[in-house]
Amino acid sequence: MVNYVLRRLLYMVVTLFFISIIGFFIINLVPGSALDARINQLRAQGGEVSYQEIESLKARYGLNDPIPVKYWKWVSGVVHGDFGESFTYQEPVGSLIWSRIGFSVLLSSFALIFTWVVAIPVGVYSATHRYTVPDYVITLIQFIGVAVPDFLMALILLVVASKFFHTGVGGLFSQQYQNAPWSWARVGNLLSHMWIPVIVIAASATAWTTRVMRANLLDVLNQQYVQTARAKGLREAVVIWKHAVRNALHPLIMTLGSLLPSLISGEVIVSIVLNLPTTGPLYISSLINKDMYLAITFLMALSILLVVGNLLADLLLAWVDPRIRYE
Amino acid sequence: MATTQVLLEKAGTVQDRISDIGRLSQWTLMRRRFMENRLSVAGGLVLIVFYLVAIFAPFVTPYSVDALDSNSQYAAPTALHFINGHISICGVTQTLNKANFTWVYTTDCNKAYPLQFFAPGYSYHLFGIIPMNIHLFEVPKGQKFFLWGADSQGRDVFSRTIMGSRISLSIGLVGVTLSVILGSVLGTASGYFGGAIDNVIQRFIELLMSMPTLPLWAAFAAALPQDMSVVKRYFFITLILSLIGWTGLARQVRAKILAYRTLDYTMASRLAGASSWRIILTHMLPNALSHIVVVATLAVPFSILGETSLSFLGIGMLPPAVSWGVLLRDAQQLSVVESHLWLMIPALCVILAVTCFQLLGDGFRDAADPYS
Amino acid sequence: MASTAMSPVRGQAGQAEDFVIRVEDLRVEFRTPIGVSSALDGITFEVPRGKTLGVVGESGCGKSVTGLAILQLVPLPGIITSGRVLFRPHDGSEAINLLEYERMGADMRGTRGKNISMIFQEPMTSLNPCYTVGNQIKEAILLHQTKNHKEAKERAIDILQKVGMPNPERIFGSYPHELSGGMRQRAMIAMGLSCTPDLLIADEPTTALDVTTEANILELMRELQQEIGMSIMFITHNLGVVAQMCDDVAVMYLGRIVEQASVEEIFYDPKHPYTISLLRSIPRLGTNRKEHLEVIRGSVPDPYTRVSGCPFHPRCPSFMPGICDKVYPEALHLPSSPQHLVRCHLYNDLNHQEVATSSGDKSS
Repeated sequence: MVNYVLRRLLYMVVTLFFISIIGFFIINLVPGSALDARINQLRAQGGEVSYQEIESLKARYGLNDPIPVKYWKWVSGVVHGDFGESFTYQEPVGSLIWSRIGFSVLLSSFALIFTWVVAIPVGVYSATHRYTVPDYVITLIQFIGVAVPDFLMALILLVVASKFFHTGVGGLFSQQYQNAPWSWARVGNLLSHMWIPVIVIAASATAWTTRVMRANLLDVLNQQYVQTARAKGLREAVVIWKHAVRNALHPLIMTLGSLLPSLISGEVIVSIVLNLPTTGPLYISSLINKDMYLAITFLMALSILLVVGNLLADLLLAWVDPRIRYE
Repeated sequence: MATTQVLLEKAGTVQDRISDIGRLSQWTLMRRRFMENRLSVAGGLVLIVFYLVAIFAPFVTPYSVDALDSNSQYAAPTALHFINGHISICGVTQTLNKANFTWVYTTDCNKAYPLQFFAPGYSYHLFGIIPMNIHLFEVPKGQKFFLWGADSQGRDVFSRTIMGSRISLSIGLVGVTLSVILGSVLGTASGYFGGAIDNVIQRFIELLMSMPTLPLWAAFAAALPQDMSVVKRYFFITLILSLIGWTGLARQVRAKILAYRTLDYTMASRLAGASSWRIILTHMLPNALSHIVVVATLAVPFSILGETSLSFLGIGMLPPAVSWGVLLRDAQQLSVVESHLWLMIPALCVILAVTCFQLLGDGFRDAADPYS
Repeated sequence: MASTAMSPVRGQAGQAEDFVIRVEDLRVEFRTPIGVSSALDGITFEVPRGKTLGVVGESGCGKSVTGLAILQLVPLPGIITSGRVLFRPHDGSEAINLLEYERMGADMRGTRGKNISMIFQEPMTSLNPCYTVGNQIKEAILLHQTKNHKEAKERAIDILQKVGMPNPERIFGSYPHELSGGMRQRAMIAMGLSCTPDLLIADEPTTALDVTTEANILELMRELQQEIGMSIMFITHNLGVVAQMCDDVAVMYLGRIVEQASVEEIFYDPKHPYTISLLRSIPRLGTNRKEHLEVIRGSVPDPYTRVSGCPFHPRCPSFMPGICDKVYPEALHLPSSPQHLVRCHLYNDLNHQEVATSSGDKSS
């Protein structure tokens, strides 16, 4: 088991290394970055200080170097905790990202928890009440749930909230807590704001997972061991929850690999619509402004989030299914 | 497996089908099973309507996409009335409320204007070649008809939504077609040849799957220069969507090919001296085809959603191009949407199209593989 | 004519013979959107105490459904539409109609696994892959016998030992995928017997196993039957196994019992053309009248098309036009052997005559 985890960790590092190469390459595809803009701006200011700064920027990021050399300079910096500078904000990237990444992780994790907490029971209900009206209703909601893009769901919610409840749903904090230091009250305020984005982010994933769960459980209910369990005299609830659901969870955990990217994507786009202080808005604006070190750092952060999530999913799978233990 | 067996033994359809198998081709059987699924058939029909409207879009739309009208900013949808046996609109007069400087619209149904069907309007080229100016419906000169209201610059939302469907609906199909080609080729190579090729392809797929989809799309899309022509941008956006979408398909194809590789008939043709190409093309791909169709159909909605999301974020299609995502950018501001709900109509189109594709894909899947 | 000392099956109720289970006029239908199919069409039989009843027939004839119906476990869309399943516990109390219990109610659940156990065909899939063998055996013991986990574990290990597991403590903690097919079937039997039931319903328990393992398992079942004194309802399509295991045999075709008799009579004096055909299709029981092995023409028809008259007539070598395809044959008691039941028009007019030949070559 320890061996397995170590191997997976090593594999994860290799994956992230390759991701960083691809990501860096993509983000450097287009000439005319924010770095050029910053240098031009400094040039316009003129003077000795500006000149020195231009030179140091050139040296640090290897402005005229080929991409591999630029990459190397960036990676060596990252290893030492220097993520480069955001040229639009004129601040080190490191200082901009942490709280945003924290909120992203928080939102995505809550969305994942929400997805499972809702999708599993609903899927079980749907599968055990096949061909009944509630099952049809659930199925219909699932189809629509998958079809409504995250940002639309967010928009619709915004409209509904403001039109019918006369409240705003943007942001993660009320005004008075916006810049307040952390306290229990602030945490409470955060939670009270967070449930709406969490539901929006999780909506389509929940719909999709419910469908997967229903199909899985229907498969499992046809298995012989379910009948064996009934033949023992177990209560139906025990048959379903102990014998059937546990086996139906297995493929569900396997689909985490595709669920996590959709949750993270959802988080990015929903945050933009709802104006949340997470990675999403800053990532997209950094892309549009060609603020490349900020963009690549966010892309890497989101990838790490995904890769770590996948690792946890694999470990969970090994724990749930005895057959793949120690492999 | 006694219960499954009992079910199989007793489920009449299954028995019927088993007894049919000798007589009917695989595709006939699938078509039959598909036709039994009413919801999927309905989804398919709606999609046919969608695509027909997209093909004949200039004919269906009364206004061209960039027909501005500064007098009709955010005009509400025009009501249709049934007057004197004609579908008509009522005359509207616009007056300025001098107290707060807002436009006041008064409707007068005594002055009814019947819709003119197959009437001349703006000129266009049908299918891009046939010059025409006939439209499905027009209103008399001087009157304005906004079936789904107008946007911030007084452009007809109906016309723009219909024209927008061309990009939104086609990008899904074209993107998925590219994905299918990439996925089938690489998936087949991976499954058939195995070894180092398989290893490299699989690791690469894992790598791509380890990057969050939307942020990766966004990174690619943001790399496109802002001043690209619409056609070029369309091509690149499609390419970006398919470059990331092929991985799932490649895996599925690979799994199928791996399964076929061990089957007797493959072995037999190999022993008979058939080349790899022959085996792949005559024995493996045709068998995997139904599966590929299913996966592809289910992938189309995600491609459509991808384009819509990117355009909504301002890094997909950009104006002057018109797509559902581009149109929804107008609905980004809460203050705007709140009072002009019709700006969300393109969203309904997205939802409807995506739902129908899912229903269709589900139907295909059940037809191709009733036991999964 | 082989006559049996014990009377295996009786047509009328009220006989003094002690039975464990008595099924009367049991009907099961599968109601699907396409139509209704009769899986069991009024079957009546009983399993005598301490004896083994074999239920034989081709796939799809309703053997498995019979077993499941006794436990009210017929999977949807199957529904038990009528009939009685009388169960008489070993303490000699009054027989209970199990079908009066609610399907998933406490009484029915209290019967399952405790008084009547069932083991299934596929040992590979009968055990839940997520739990250890011990956990799954303990589950039944905890449910019906003791609430004490330690005691339950001891009993489980005890029963594992009894079914011939080499290292019961280790097996107790093993997951099903760590065991071979034969071992899993032993574990299943252990689970079935953990609460010393009155009746064990074995649904093709050895079909998926190789011949050596099959022999071992059958031997084990016979031993345990002796030891516990339980009855077995042995569902199989393998007549060789029937010969080894059973006291009485019921031959099923399309949801009906077409012939019922002691194992000796079934093998040495079969009456129904279907039984005869079944026996002829076994290599080692051939009577050397023909060189090559016979097969039964055709296959079991689609369950939604109701065959008029005798359901076997389209495949019957002794088909009599005008009778067999028109009239559904009643169950007849042979005068020579009143416990021998057969549903066939061939014996209609011979009720008062001795049937001289068991051959089916009477086709006109």
